[in-house]
Amino acid sequence: MNLPVRNDHGFFLLLVAGVLIFTLVARPPSWYLYLLLLVVFGIVLHATRTWKDRIFYILCAGQPLVIALSAVLVWAGLFAVWMLAGIVLAALGMLASADDWRTYAAFCGAALVIAAGIDASGHVLLPLLIIGGLTAVFAMVCTVREYRFRKQYTGAPP
Amino acid sequence: MRLKRCAQGISLLVILLFACALILDDLAILLAAGTLLAGLCGLGYSFDRRFRHAVASVRVERSLERAVVRTGTTLRVTTAITLQVPAHMQASISEILPAGVVVQDGETAASSGTSPAPVTFRLAYRITPVVHGTMHFSGVTLVVRDNFFENSIVLSAEPFRGPVLSVQPRGLFEPSGRGLTAETREIEKMAVLSGLGVRALREYYAGDDLRRIDWKLTAKHNKLFVREYTGVVNLPPLIVVDLPWRGTPYPADAFERMVAAVAGMVEHSTTMYQYSTVLLISGPNILYFIIEEKDLQRSISALREWMHPVERTAHFYRMTDRSDLRRRIRALEIQSGEIPDPSTEKFISSLKKQSLISLKAQQTHVFNAQVARTLSPLTVNEVYLFSLFLGDASHLVQLIRQAKAMKLRVHVRTPKIPDLLSSPYAPGRLGADTVEACA
Repeated sequence: MNLPVRNDHGFFLLLVAGVLIFTLVARPPSWYLYLLLLVVFGIVLHATRTWKDRIFYILCAGQPLVIALSAVLVWAGLFAVWMLAGIVLAALGMLASADDWRTYAAFCGAALVIAAGIDASGHVLLPLLIIGGLTAVFAMVCTVREYRFRKQYTGAPP
Repeated sequence: MRLKRCAQGISLLVILLFACALILDDLAILLAAGTLLAGLCGLGYSFDRRFRHAVASVRVERSLERAVVRTGTTLRVTTAITLQVPAHMQASISEILPAGVVVQDGETAASSGTSPAPVTFRLAYRITPVVHGTMHFSGVTLVVRDNFFENSIVLSAEPFRGPVLSVQPRGLFEPSGRGLTAETREIEKMAVLSGLGVRALREYYAGDDLRRIDWKLTAKHNKLFVREYTGVVNLPPLIVVDLPWRGTPYPADAFERMVAAVAGMVEHSTTMYQYSTVLLISGPNILYFIIEEKDLQRSISALREWMHPVERTAHFYRMTDRSDLRRRIRALEIQSGEIPDPSTEKFISSLKKQSLISLKAQQTHVFNAQVARTLSPLTVNEVYLFSLFLGDASHLVQLIRQAKAMKLRVHVRTPKIPDLLSSPYAPGRLGADTVEACA
Protein backbone atom coordinates (compact mmCIF):
# COMPACT_ATOMS: atom_id res chain seq x y z
CA MET A 1 0.00 0.00 0.00
CA ASN A 2 1.39 3.40 -1.03
CA LEU A 3 0.78 6.08 1.58
CA PRO A 4 0.79 9.70 0.43
CA VAL A 5 3.86 10.61 2.49
CA ARG A 6 4.98 14.21 2.13
CA ASN A 7 7.92 16.20 3.48
CA ASP A 8 5.90 17.61 6.38
CA HIS A 9 5.00 14.06 7.43
CA GLY A 10 8.70 13.18 7.48
CA PHE A 11 9.54 16.15 9.67
CA PHE A 12 6.63 15.33 11.94
CA LEU A 13 7.80 11.75 12.33
CA LEU A 14 11.28 13.02 13.12
CA LEU A 15 9.78 15.34 15.73
CA VAL A 16 7.81 12.45 17.27
CA ALA A 17 10.94 10.29 17.37
CA GLY A 18 13.00 13.10 18.88
CA VAL A 19 10.45 13.82 21.61
CA LEU A 20 10.12 10.12 22.46
CA ILE A 21 13.89 9.71 22.68
CA PHE A 22 14.14 12.86 24.79
CA THR A 23 11.40 11.58 27.10
CA LEU A 24 13.08 8.18 27.46
CA VAL A 25 16.59 9.52 27.94
CA ALA A 26 16.01 12.63 30.04
CA ARG A 27 13.05 11.12 31.98
CA PRO A 28 11.57 14.50 32.93
CA PRO A 29 9.03 14.49 35.78
CA SER A 30 6.18 15.73 33.56
CA TRP A 31 6.90 13.38 30.64
CA TYR A 32 3.21 13.04 29.81
CA LEU A 33 3.07 16.79 29.00
CA TYR A 34 5.36 16.38 25.97
CA LEU A 35 3.35 13.49 24.65
CA LEU A 36 0.13 15.45 25.17
CA LEU A 37 1.52 18.51 23.34
CA LEU A 38 2.79 16.26 20.59
CA VAL A 39 -0.66 14.73 20.16
CA VAL A 40 -2.28 18.19 20.11
CA PHE A 41 0.24 19.32 17.51
CA GLY A 42 -0.46 16.24 15.38
CA ILE A 43 -4.20 16.84 15.56
CA VAL A 44 -3.79 20.49 14.51
CA LEU A 45 -1.43 19.48 11.70
CA HIS A 46 -4.03 17.04 10.40
CA ALA A 47 -7.16 19.10 11.03
CA THR A 48 -5.92 22.28 9.38
CA ARG A 49 -4.60 20.70 6.19
CA THR A 50 -7.24 22.44 4.05
CA TRP A 51 -7.41 25.71 5.97
CA LYS A 52 -6.31 28.94 4.36
CA ASP A 53 -3.92 30.28 7.03
CA ARG A 54 -2.76 26.85 8.11
CA ILE A 55 0.78 27.99 8.90
CA PHE A 56 -0.36 30.28 11.69
CA TYR A 57 -2.26 27.45 13.41
CA ILE A 58 0.67 25.06 13.04
CA LEU A 59 3.01 27.59 14.61
CA CYS A 60 0.55 28.32 17.42
CA ALA A 61 0.25 24.59 18.16
CA GLY A 62 4.01 24.05 17.91
CA GLN A 63 5.20 26.84 20.18
CA PRO A 64 4.00 25.23 23.48
CA LEU A 65 5.97 22.11 22.59
CA VAL A 66 9.07 24.21 21.82
CA ILE A 67 8.72 26.10 25.09
CA ALA A 68 8.12 22.94 27.12
CA LEU A 69 11.14 21.18 25.62
CA SER A 70 13.49 24.15 25.90
CA ALA A 71 12.43 24.68 29.53
CA VAL A 72 14.18 21.38 30.28
CA LEU A 73 16.92 21.51 27.66
CA VAL A 74 17.56 24.38 25.20
CA TRP A 75 18.94 22.00 22.56
CA ALA A 76 15.79 19.89 22.69
CA GLY A 77 13.79 23.03 22.09
CA LEU A 78 16.11 23.92 19.21
CA PHE A 79 15.49 20.51 17.69
CA ALA A 80 11.74 21.12 17.93
CA VAL A 81 12.21 24.55 16.26
CA TRP A 82 14.11 22.95 13.39
CA MET A 83 11.44 20.30 12.88
CA LEU A 84 8.67 22.88 13.16
CA ALA A 85 10.36 25.06 10.53
CA GLY A 86 10.76 22.00 8.30
CA ILE A 87 7.06 21.17 8.68
CA VAL A 88 6.06 24.76 7.86
CA LEU A 89 8.31 25.04 4.81
CA ALA A 90 7.23 21.63 3.56
CA ALA A 91 3.57 22.55 4.00
CA LEU A 92 4.20 25.65 1.90
CA GLY A 93 5.95 23.62 -0.77
CA MET A 94 9.13 25.59 -0.14
CA LEU A 95 11.44 22.62 0.12
CA ALA A 96 11.32 21.65 -3.53
CA SER A 97 14.67 22.94 -4.77
CA ALA A 98 18.26 22.99 -3.55
CA ASP A 99 17.90 26.74 -3.02
CA ASP A 100 14.96 26.09 -0.69
CA TRP A 101 17.03 23.61 1.33
CA ARG A 102 19.82 26.16 1.59
CA THR A 103 17.32 28.68 2.95
CA TYR A 104 16.17 26.10 5.49
CA ALA A 105 19.76 25.39 6.48
CA ALA A 106 20.37 29.13 6.91
CA PHE A 107 17.39 29.37 9.23
CA CYS A 108 18.61 26.37 11.22
CA GLY A 109 21.99 28.09 11.57
CA ALA A 110 20.37 31.33 12.75
CA ALA A 111 18.25 29.40 15.24
CA LEU A 112 21.39 27.63 16.46
CA VAL A 113 23.11 30.97 17.09
CA ILE A 114 20.06 32.28 18.95
CA ALA A 115 19.84 29.11 21.04
CA ALA A 116 23.55 29.27 21.85
CA GLY A 117 23.21 32.89 22.91
CA ILE A 118 20.22 32.15 25.09
CA ASP A 119 21.96 29.09 26.60
CA ALA A 120 24.93 31.24 27.50
CA SER A 121 22.78 33.92 29.06
CA GLY A 122 21.30 33.72 32.52
CA HIS A 123 18.48 36.24 32.05
CA VAL A 124 16.09 37.38 29.35
CA LEU A 125 16.88 41.09 29.17
CA LEU A 126 20.29 41.07 27.48
CA PRO A 127 19.47 38.55 24.73
CA LEU A 128 16.12 40.30 24.24
CA LEU A 129 17.88 43.63 23.69
CA ILE A 130 20.34 42.03 21.29
CA ILE A 131 17.52 40.38 19.31
CA GLY A 132 15.58 43.65 19.29
CA GLY A 133 18.61 45.63 18.17
CA LEU A 134 19.45 43.20 15.40
CA THR A 135 15.83 43.27 14.24
CA ALA A 136 15.86 47.07 14.18
CA VAL A 137 19.08 47.09 12.15
CA PHE A 138 17.59 44.50 9.78
CA ALA A 139 14.43 46.59 9.33
CA MET A 140 16.48 49.73 8.73
CA VAL A 141 18.68 48.05 6.14
CA CYS A 142 15.58 46.65 4.40
CA THR A 143 13.97 50.10 4.34
CA VAL A 144 17.02 51.75 2.81
CA ARG A 145 17.39 48.99 0.24
CA GLU A 146 13.72 49.27 -0.71
CA TYR A 147 13.98 53.05 -1.03
CA ARG A 148 16.92 52.76 -3.41
CA PHE A 149 15.21 50.00 -5.34
CA ARG A 150 12.02 52.02 -5.79
CA LYS A 151 14.00 55.07 -6.80
CA GLN A 152 15.64 53.07 -9.56
CA TYR A 153 12.41 51.72 -11.04
CA THR A 154 9.99 54.53 -10.35
CA GLY A 155 12.01 57.23 -12.05
CA ALA A 156 11.21 60.89 -12.31
CA PRO A 157 7.69 61.98 -13.19
CA PRO A 158 7.19 62.78 -16.88
CA MET B 1 6.06 45.59 1.93
CA ARG B 2 2.83 44.73 3.67
CA LEU B 3 2.15 41.80 5.97
CA LYS B 4 -0.73 39.54 5.01
CA ARG B 5 -3.11 38.07 7.56
CA CYS B 6 -0.98 35.03 8.34
CA ALA B 7 2.17 37.13 8.86
CA GLN B 8 0.21 39.58 11.00
CA GLY B 9 -0.89 36.69 13.22
CA ILE B 10 2.69 35.42 13.55
CA SER B 11 3.91 38.95 14.39
CA LEU B 12 1.31 39.18 17.13
CA LEU B 13 2.40 35.79 18.45
CA VAL B 14 6.05 36.95 18.51
CA ILE B 15 5.15 40.09 20.45
CA LEU B 16 3.12 38.09 22.96
CA LEU B 17 5.94 35.60 23.44
CA PHE B 18 8.51 38.38 23.90
CA ALA B 19 6.25 40.07 26.46
CA CYS B 20 5.74 36.81 28.34
CA ALA B 21 9.49 36.08 28.26
CA LEU B 22 10.28 39.51 29.66
CA ILE B 23 7.62 39.36 32.37
CA LEU B 24 8.35 35.77 33.44
CA ASP B 25 12.10 36.05 32.75
CA ASP B 26 11.84 32.72 30.91
CA LEU B 27 14.58 31.84 28.45
CA ALA B 28 12.53 29.00 26.94
CA ILE B 29 9.84 31.45 25.81
CA LEU B 30 12.56 33.78 24.54
CA LEU B 31 13.96 30.97 22.41
CA ALA B 32 10.53 30.33 20.91
CA ALA B 33 9.97 34.05 20.25
CA GLY B 34 13.47 34.65 18.89
CA THR B 35 13.40 31.74 16.47
CA LEU B 36 9.90 32.71 15.33
CA LEU B 37 11.08 36.27 14.70
CA ALA B 38 14.13 34.99 12.84
CA GLY B 39 11.86 32.82 10.69
CA LEU B 40 9.58 35.75 9.91
CA CYS B 41 12.53 37.99 9.01
CA GLY B 42 13.95 35.22 6.85
CA LEU B 43 10.66 34.85 5.00
CA GLY B 44 10.54 38.61 4.53
CA TYR B 45 14.06 38.71 3.15
CA SER B 46 13.30 35.80 0.83
CA PHE B 47 10.14 37.56 -0.40
CA ASP B 48 12.04 40.79 -1.00
CA ARG B 49 14.70 38.96 -3.02
CA ARG B 50 12.08 37.25 -5.22
CA PHE B 51 10.13 40.51 -5.56
CA ARG B 52 13.23 42.24 -6.91
CA HIS B 53 13.74 39.39 -9.33
CA ALA B 54 10.16 39.74 -10.56
CA VAL B 55 10.49 43.51 -10.97
CA ALA B 56 13.78 43.18 -12.84
CA SER B 57 12.14 40.80 -15.31
CA VAL B 58 9.37 43.22 -16.38
CA ARG B 59 9.48 44.41 -19.98
CA VAL B 60 6.78 46.72 -21.38
CA GLU B 61 6.06 47.44 -25.02
CA ARG B 62 3.11 49.74 -25.63
CA SER B 63 1.74 50.88 -28.95
CA LEU B 64 -1.04 53.28 -29.84
CA GLU B 65 -3.28 53.05 -32.84
CA ARG B 66 -2.62 56.72 -33.51
CA ALA B 67 -0.31 59.24 -31.89
CA VAL B 68 -2.42 62.32 -32.61
CA VAL B 69 -6.19 62.34 -32.17
CA ARG B 70 -8.94 64.80 -31.50
CA THR B 71 -10.91 64.93 -28.27
CA GLY B 72 -13.56 62.22 -28.14
CA THR B 73 -11.87 59.95 -30.66
CA THR B 74 -11.61 56.32 -29.58
CA LEU B 75 -8.31 54.60 -30.22
CA ARG B 76 -6.87 51.18 -29.49
CA VAL B 77 -3.91 50.66 -27.16
CA THR B 78 -1.95 47.41 -27.15
CA THR B 79 0.53 46.65 -24.39
CA ALA B 80 2.75 43.57 -24.22
CA ILE B 81 4.11 43.00 -20.71
CA THR B 82 6.69 40.30 -20.15
CA LEU B 83 7.15 39.13 -16.59
CA GLN B 84 8.75 36.25 -14.73
CA VAL B 85 6.95 35.28 -11.54
CA PRO B 86 9.24 33.51 -9.03
CA ALA B 87 8.22 30.35 -7.23
CA HIS B 88 5.44 30.47 -4.58
CA MET B 89 4.29 33.91 -5.72
CA GLN B 90 1.41 35.46 -7.62
CA ALA B 91 1.68 38.67 -9.57
CA SER B 92 -0.82 41.08 -11.04
CA ILE B 93 0.07 43.93 -13.31
CA SER B 94 -2.07 46.84 -14.42
CA GLU B 95 -1.72 49.80 -16.72
CA ILE B 96 -1.47 53.33 -15.29
CA LEU B 97 -3.71 55.29 -17.61
CA PRO B 98 -3.26 58.98 -18.22
CA ALA B 99 -5.72 61.31 -16.55
CA GLY B 100 -8.46 62.47 -18.84
CA VAL B 101 -9.07 59.26 -20.74
CA VAL B 102 -12.00 56.88 -20.46
CA VAL B 103 -11.58 53.17 -21.04
CA GLN B 104 -14.24 52.01 -23.48
CA ASP B 105 -13.58 48.28 -23.42
CA GLY B 106 -10.81 45.72 -23.14
CA GLU B 107 -8.47 44.61 -20.35
CA THR B 108 -6.06 46.93 -18.57
CA ALA B 109 -4.81 44.41 -16.00
CA ALA B 110 -3.62 40.82 -15.89
CA SER B 111 -2.68 38.27 -13.23
CA SER B 112 -0.39 35.29 -13.19
CA GLY B 113 0.70 32.51 -10.87
CA THR B 114 4.21 31.16 -10.61
CA SER B 115 5.94 30.89 -13.97
CA PRO B 116 9.61 29.90 -14.10
CA ALA B 117 9.83 31.07 -17.71
CA PRO B 118 8.96 34.66 -18.68
CA VAL B 119 5.27 34.98 -19.54
CA THR B 120 3.89 37.68 -21.82
CA PHE B 121 0.54 39.38 -21.16
CA ARG B 122 -1.11 41.18 -24.04
CA LEU B 123 -3.45 43.92 -22.86
CA ALA B 124 -5.64 45.38 -25.58
CA TYR B 125 -8.13 48.08 -24.78
CA ARG B 126 -9.74 51.16 -26.28
CA ILE B 127 -9.62 54.59 -24.73
CA THR B 128 -11.34 57.85 -25.45
CA PRO B 129 -9.60 61.09 -24.44
CA VAL B 130 -12.11 63.51 -22.98
CA VAL B 131 -9.76 66.45 -22.59
CA HIS B 132 -7.14 67.79 -24.94
CA GLY B 133 -3.42 68.09 -24.32
CA THR B 134 -0.40 65.82 -24.19
CA MET B 135 -1.07 62.55 -22.41
CA HIS B 136 1.70 60.35 -21.07
CA PHE B 137 1.30 56.65 -20.46
CA SER B 138 3.24 56.70 -17.23
CA GLY B 139 3.93 53.00 -16.72
CA VAL B 140 2.48 49.98 -14.98
CA THR B 141 1.74 48.92 -11.42
CA LEU B 142 3.09 45.54 -10.35
CA VAL B 143 1.68 43.78 -7.28
CA VAL B 144 3.42 40.62 -6.03
CA ARG B 145 2.21 38.49 -3.16
CA ASP B 146 2.85 35.18 -1.44
CA ASN B 147 1.34 33.56 1.65
CA PHE B 148 2.88 36.04 4.07
CA PHE B 149 3.70 39.29 2.29
CA GLU B 150 2.50 41.58 -0.45
CA ASN B 151 4.36 44.37 -2.18
CA SER B 152 3.55 46.71 -5.01
CA ILE B 153 5.61 49.07 -7.09
CA VAL B 154 4.78 51.70 -9.67
CA LEU B 155 7.10 51.09 -12.60
CA SER B 156 7.27 54.49 -14.17
CA ALA B 157 10.93 54.72 -15.15
CA GLU B 158 11.85 55.37 -18.77
CA PRO B 159 11.64 51.75 -20.05
CA PHE B 160 8.05 51.39 -18.80
CA ARG B 161 6.71 54.77 -19.97
CA GLY B 162 5.38 56.06 -23.24
CA PRO B 163 4.37 56.60 -25.91
CA VAL B 164 2.88 60.08 -25.75
CA LEU B 165 -0.62 60.70 -27.01
CA SER B 166 -1.32 64.14 -28.39
CA VAL B 167 -4.98 65.10 -28.15
CA GLN B 168 -6.11 68.04 -30.24
CA PRO B 169 -9.12 70.06 -29.14
CA ARG B 170 -12.45 69.74 -30.86
CA GLY B 171 -14.98 72.55 -31.03
CA LEU B 172 -18.19 72.26 -29.08
CA PHE B 173 -20.38 73.37 -31.93
CA GLU B 174 -20.80 72.22 -35.48
CA PRO B 175 -19.85 74.74 -38.16
CA SER B 176 -22.82 76.81 -39.16
CA GLY B 177 -22.89 75.54 -42.73
CA ARG B 178 -23.24 71.82 -42.19
CA GLY B 179 -23.77 70.97 -45.83
CA LEU B 180 -21.63 72.03 -48.73
CA THR B 181 -24.76 72.50 -50.81
CA ALA B 182 -28.44 72.05 -50.20
CA GLU B 183 -28.20 68.46 -51.43
CA THR B 184 -25.15 67.20 -49.51
CA ARG B 185 -23.91 66.90 -45.97
CA GLU B 186 -20.50 66.38 -44.32
CA ILE B 187 -19.88 63.19 -42.36
CA GLU B 188 -17.04 62.12 -40.08
CA LYS B 189 -15.80 59.34 -42.32
CA MET B 190 -13.90 58.83 -45.50
CA ALA B 191 -15.85 59.38 -48.72
CA VAL B 192 -15.16 59.93 -52.37
CA LEU B 193 -15.87 63.63 -52.10
CA SER B 194 -14.13 65.72 -49.46
CA GLY B 195 -15.88 68.35 -47.41
CA LEU B 196 -14.39 71.42 -45.74
CA GLY B 197 -14.35 70.20 -42.13
CA VAL B 198 -11.29 68.48 -40.65
CA ARG B 199 -12.15 64.96 -39.53
CA ALA B 200 -8.74 63.92 -38.17
CA LEU B 201 -5.06 64.73 -38.13
CA ARG B 202 -2.40 62.12 -38.76
CA GLU B 203 1.25 61.81 -39.60
CA TYR B 204 2.32 62.31 -43.18
CA TYR B 205 2.86 59.23 -45.31
CA ALA B 206 4.64 59.20 -48.63
CA GLY B 207 2.11 59.87 -51.37
CA ASP B 208 -0.16 62.13 -49.33
CA ASP B 209 -1.35 65.29 -51.00
CA LEU B 210 1.05 68.08 -50.00
CA ARG B 211 -1.82 70.54 -50.00
CA ARG B 212 -3.28 68.74 -47.03
CA ILE B 213 -0.28 69.30 -44.75
CA ASP B 214 -1.18 71.15 -41.56
CA TRP B 215 1.78 73.52 -41.32
CA LYS B 216 0.99 74.85 -37.86
CA LEU B 217 0.90 71.38 -36.33
CA THR B 218 3.96 70.38 -38.33
CA ALA B 219 5.90 73.34 -36.94
CA LYS B 220 4.74 72.59 -33.43
CA HIS B 221 5.75 68.92 -33.40
CA ASN B 222 8.63 69.16 -35.88
CA LYS B 223 6.98 66.36 -37.84
CA LEU B 224 4.78 66.43 -40.93
CA PHE B 225 1.07 66.15 -40.18
CA VAL B 226 -1.74 66.04 -42.71
CA ARG B 227 -5.42 66.85 -42.36
CA GLU B 228 -8.09 64.33 -43.19
CA TYR B 229 -11.18 66.10 -44.37
CA THR B 230 -14.73 65.04 -43.75
CA GLY B 231 -16.57 63.12 -46.43
CA VAL B 232 -19.62 64.36 -48.25
CA VAL B 233 -22.76 62.29 -48.77
CA ASN B 234 -26.33 62.89 -49.83
CA LEU B 235 -28.77 64.05 -47.20
CA PRO B 236 -30.25 61.30 -45.03
CA PRO B 237 -33.99 60.71 -45.21
CA LEU B 238 -36.61 61.56 -42.64
CA ILE B 239 -38.42 58.42 -41.52
CA VAL B 240 -42.03 58.95 -40.48
CA VAL B 241 -43.85 56.08 -38.79
CA ASP B 242 -47.62 56.20 -38.41
CA LEU B 243 -48.56 53.88 -35.53
CA PRO B 244 -52.03 52.28 -35.43
CA TRP B 245 -54.67 53.28 -32.91
CA ARG B 246 -55.06 51.00 -29.94
CA GLY B 247 -58.85 51.23 -30.23
CA THR B 248 -59.11 49.34 -33.51
CA PRO B 249 -57.94 45.84 -34.42
CA TYR B 250 -54.84 45.72 -36.55
CA PRO B 251 -53.10 42.96 -38.53
CA ALA B 252 -50.22 41.89 -36.26
CA ASP B 253 -48.19 40.22 -39.01
CA ALA B 254 -48.37 43.30 -41.22
CA PHE B 255 -47.40 45.50 -38.28
CA GLU B 256 -44.41 43.27 -37.51
CA ARG B 257 -43.28 43.54 -41.11
CA MET B 258 -43.57 47.28 -40.93
CA VAL B 259 -41.56 47.38 -37.69
CA ALA B 260 -38.84 45.27 -39.31
CA ALA B 261 -38.81 47.56 -42.33
CA VAL B 262 -38.53 50.67 -40.14
CA ALA B 263 -35.66 49.13 -38.15
CA GLY B 264 -33.91 48.25 -41.39
CA MET B 265 -34.33 51.75 -42.73
CA VAL B 266 -32.98 53.27 -39.48
CA GLU B 267 -29.98 50.96 -39.59
CA HIS B 268 -29.36 51.82 -43.22
CA SER B 269 -29.60 55.52 -42.52
CA THR B 270 -27.22 55.31 -39.55
CA THR B 271 -24.73 53.22 -41.51
CA MET B 272 -24.81 55.27 -44.67
CA TYR B 273 -25.30 58.80 -43.36
CA GLN B 274 -24.03 58.35 -39.78
CA TYR B 275 -27.34 59.23 -38.18
CA SER B 276 -31.07 58.74 -38.49
CA THR B 277 -34.06 61.00 -37.94
CA VAL B 278 -37.37 59.36 -37.08
CA LEU B 279 -40.72 61.00 -36.49
CA LEU B 280 -43.27 58.81 -34.72
CA ILE B 281 -46.92 59.79 -35.14
CA SER B 282 -50.25 58.13 -34.59
CA GLY B 283 -53.06 59.83 -36.45
CA PRO B 284 -52.78 63.59 -35.98
CA ASN B 285 -50.63 63.16 -32.85
CA ILE B 286 -46.88 63.59 -32.84
CA LEU B 287 -45.53 61.07 -30.31
CA TYR B 288 -41.76 61.15 -30.41
CA PHE B 289 -39.03 62.66 -32.51
CA ILE B 290 -35.57 61.12 -32.79
CA ILE B 291 -33.43 63.94 -34.16
CA GLU B 292 -30.18 63.04 -35.91
CA GLU B 293 -29.33 60.17 -33.58
CA LYS B 294 -25.88 58.80 -34.31
CA ASP B 295 -26.08 55.83 -31.95
CA LEU B 296 -27.91 52.97 -33.63
CA GLN B 297 -28.55 51.23 -30.30
CA ARG B 298 -30.33 54.27 -28.93
CA SER B 299 -32.43 54.59 -32.05
CA ILE B 300 -33.41 50.94 -31.90
CA SER B 301 -34.16 51.24 -28.16
CA ALA B 302 -36.47 54.17 -28.85
CA LEU B 303 -38.19 52.23 -31.61
CA ARG B 304 -38.55 49.22 -29.33
CA GLU B 305 -40.18 51.47 -26.77
CA TRP B 306 -42.61 53.13 -29.16
CA MET B 307 -43.41 50.62 -31.90
CA HIS B 308 -46.78 49.34 -30.73
CA PRO B 309 -50.38 50.52 -31.11
CA VAL B 310 -50.94 53.68 -29.06
CA GLU B 311 -53.85 55.66 -27.70
CA ARG B 312 -54.72 58.71 -29.81
CA THR B 313 -55.76 61.92 -28.11
CA ALA B 314 -56.88 63.56 -31.36
CA HIS B 315 -58.55 61.99 -34.42
CA PHE B 316 -59.11 63.12 -38.01
CA TYR B 317 -62.06 62.04 -40.06
CA ARG B 318 -61.89 63.01 -43.74
CA MET B 319 -60.08 66.15 -42.72
CA THR B 320 -59.99 68.78 -45.44
CA ASP B 321 -57.90 71.90 -45.60
CA ARG B 322 -58.37 75.15 -47.53
CA SER B 323 -56.89 73.80 -50.74
CA ASP B 324 -59.34 70.87 -50.71
CA LEU B 325 -62.27 73.17 -50.20
CA ARG B 326 -61.12 75.52 -52.94
CA ARG B 327 -60.66 72.59 -55.31
CA ARG B 328 -64.16 71.40 -54.45
CA ILE B 329 -65.68 74.86 -55.03
CA ARG B 330 -63.94 75.16 -58.41
CA ALA B 331 -65.23 71.72 -59.41
CA LEU B 332 -68.77 72.70 -58.36
CA GLU B 333 -68.54 75.94 -60.36
CA ILE B 334 -67.52 74.00 -63.45
CA GLN B 335 -70.34 71.50 -62.96
CA SER B 336 -72.99 74.20 -62.40
CA GLY B 337 -72.16 75.75 -65.80
CA GLU B 338 -72.49 72.43 -67.59
CA ILE B 339 -75.70 71.02 -66.04
CA PRO B 340 -79.01 72.49 -67.47
CA ASP B 341 -81.23 70.75 -64.90
CA PRO B 342 -82.49 73.48 -62.49
CA SER B 343 -82.97 71.08 -59.55
CA THR B 344 -79.42 69.72 -59.90
CA GLU B 345 -78.10 73.24 -60.29
CA LYS B 346 -79.88 74.23 -57.08
CA PHE B 347 -78.32 71.28 -55.28
CA ILE B 348 -74.86 72.18 -56.60
CA SER B 349 -75.24 75.81 -55.58
CA SER B 350 -76.31 74.64 -52.12
CA LEU B 351 -73.19 72.49 -51.92
CA LYS B 352 -71.07 75.40 -53.09
CA LYS B 353 -72.60 77.63 -50.45
CA GLN B 354 -71.83 75.07 -47.73
CA SER B 355 -68.26 74.79 -49.00
CA LEU B 356 -67.81 78.56 -48.96
CA ILE B 357 -69.11 78.70 -45.38
CA SER B 358 -66.67 75.93 -44.44
CA LEU B 359 -63.83 77.78 -46.20
CA LYS B 360 -64.53 80.94 -44.26
CA ALA B 361 -64.54 79.07 -40.96
CA GLN B 362 -61.55 76.91 -41.88
CA GLN B 363 -58.65 77.03 -39.41
CA THR B 364 -55.24 75.48 -39.52
CA HIS B 365 -55.12 72.28 -37.44
CA VAL B 366 -52.52 71.97 -34.71
CA PHE B 367 -51.13 68.84 -36.37
CA ASN B 368 -50.39 70.71 -39.60
CA ALA B 369 -48.61 73.43 -37.67
CA GLN B 370 -46.62 70.86 -35.69
CA VAL B 371 -45.58 69.05 -38.86
CA ALA B 372 -44.54 72.32 -40.46
CA ARG B 373 -42.50 73.25 -37.41
CA THR B 374 -40.92 69.79 -37.34
CA LEU B 375 -39.99 69.65 -40.99
CA SER B 376 -38.79 73.21 -41.53
CA PRO B 377 -35.49 73.06 -39.56
CA LEU B 378 -34.53 69.64 -40.95
CA THR B 379 -31.99 69.32 -43.72
CA VAL B 380 -33.55 66.49 -45.68
CA ASN B 381 -34.70 65.95 -49.21
CA GLU B 382 -36.58 62.67 -48.84
CA VAL B 383 -39.28 61.42 -46.52
CA TYR B 384 -40.09 57.75 -46.02
CA LEU B 385 -43.58 57.29 -44.62
CA PHE B 386 -44.49 53.96 -43.02
CA SER B 387 -48.14 53.28 -42.25
CA LEU B 388 -50.69 50.45 -42.11
CA PHE B 389 -53.37 52.78 -43.60
CA LEU B 390 -56.04 51.62 -41.15
CA GLY B 391 -59.12 53.80 -41.03
CA ASP B 392 -58.87 57.48 -41.84
CA ALA B 393 -55.57 58.58 -43.37
CA SER B 394 -56.25 62.26 -43.91
CA HIS B 395 -53.48 63.12 -41.43
CA LEU B 396 -51.07 61.37 -43.80
CA VAL B 397 -52.42 63.41 -46.70
CA GLN B 398 -51.79 66.55 -44.67
CA LEU B 399 -48.30 65.42 -43.81
CA ILE B 400 -47.45 64.55 -47.40
CA ARG B 401 -48.84 67.88 -48.53
CA GLN B 402 -46.61 69.71 -46.06
CA ALA B 403 -43.60 67.73 -47.25
CA LYS B 404 -44.35 68.38 -50.89
CA ALA B 405 -44.69 72.09 -50.13
CA MET B 406 -41.09 71.95 -48.90
CA LYS B 407 -40.06 70.19 -52.11
CA LEU B 408 -39.32 66.89 -50.39
CA ARG B 409 -39.73 63.60 -52.17
CA VAL B 410 -42.19 61.39 -50.31
CA HIS B 411 -42.01 57.60 -50.46
CA VAL B 412 -44.86 55.67 -48.88
CA ARG B 413 -44.12 52.21 -47.53
CA THR B 414 -46.94 49.97 -46.40
CA PRO B 415 -47.22 46.22 -45.90
CA LYS B 416 -50.72 46.18 -47.50
CA ILE B 417 -50.46 47.47 -51.06
CA PRO B 418 -53.66 45.76 -52.40
CA ASP B 419 -55.77 47.24 -49.59
CA LEU B 420 -54.31 50.65 -50.25
CA LEU B 421 -55.09 50.54 -53.97
CA SER B 422 -58.76 49.92 -53.28
CA SER B 423 -59.02 52.57 -50.54
CA PRO B 424 -59.86 56.26 -50.98
CA TYR B 425 -56.15 56.93 -50.35
CA ALA B 426 -54.80 55.52 -53.57
CA PRO B 427 -51.23 56.58 -54.44
CA GLY B 428 -52.47 59.25 -56.82
CA ARG B 429 -54.68 60.90 -54.20
CA LEU B 430 -52.05 60.67 -51.50
CA GLY B 431 -49.65 62.79 -53.51
CA ALA B 432 -46.64 60.59 -52.72
CA ASP B 433 -43.89 60.14 -55.28
CA THR B 434 -43.69 56.38 -54.82
CA VAL B 435 -45.72 53.76 -52.99
CA GLU B 436 -44.08 50.42 -52.27
CA ALA B 437 -44.71 47.39 -50.11
CA CYS B 438 -42.53 46.76 -47.03
CA ALA B 439 -40.59 43.54 -47.05
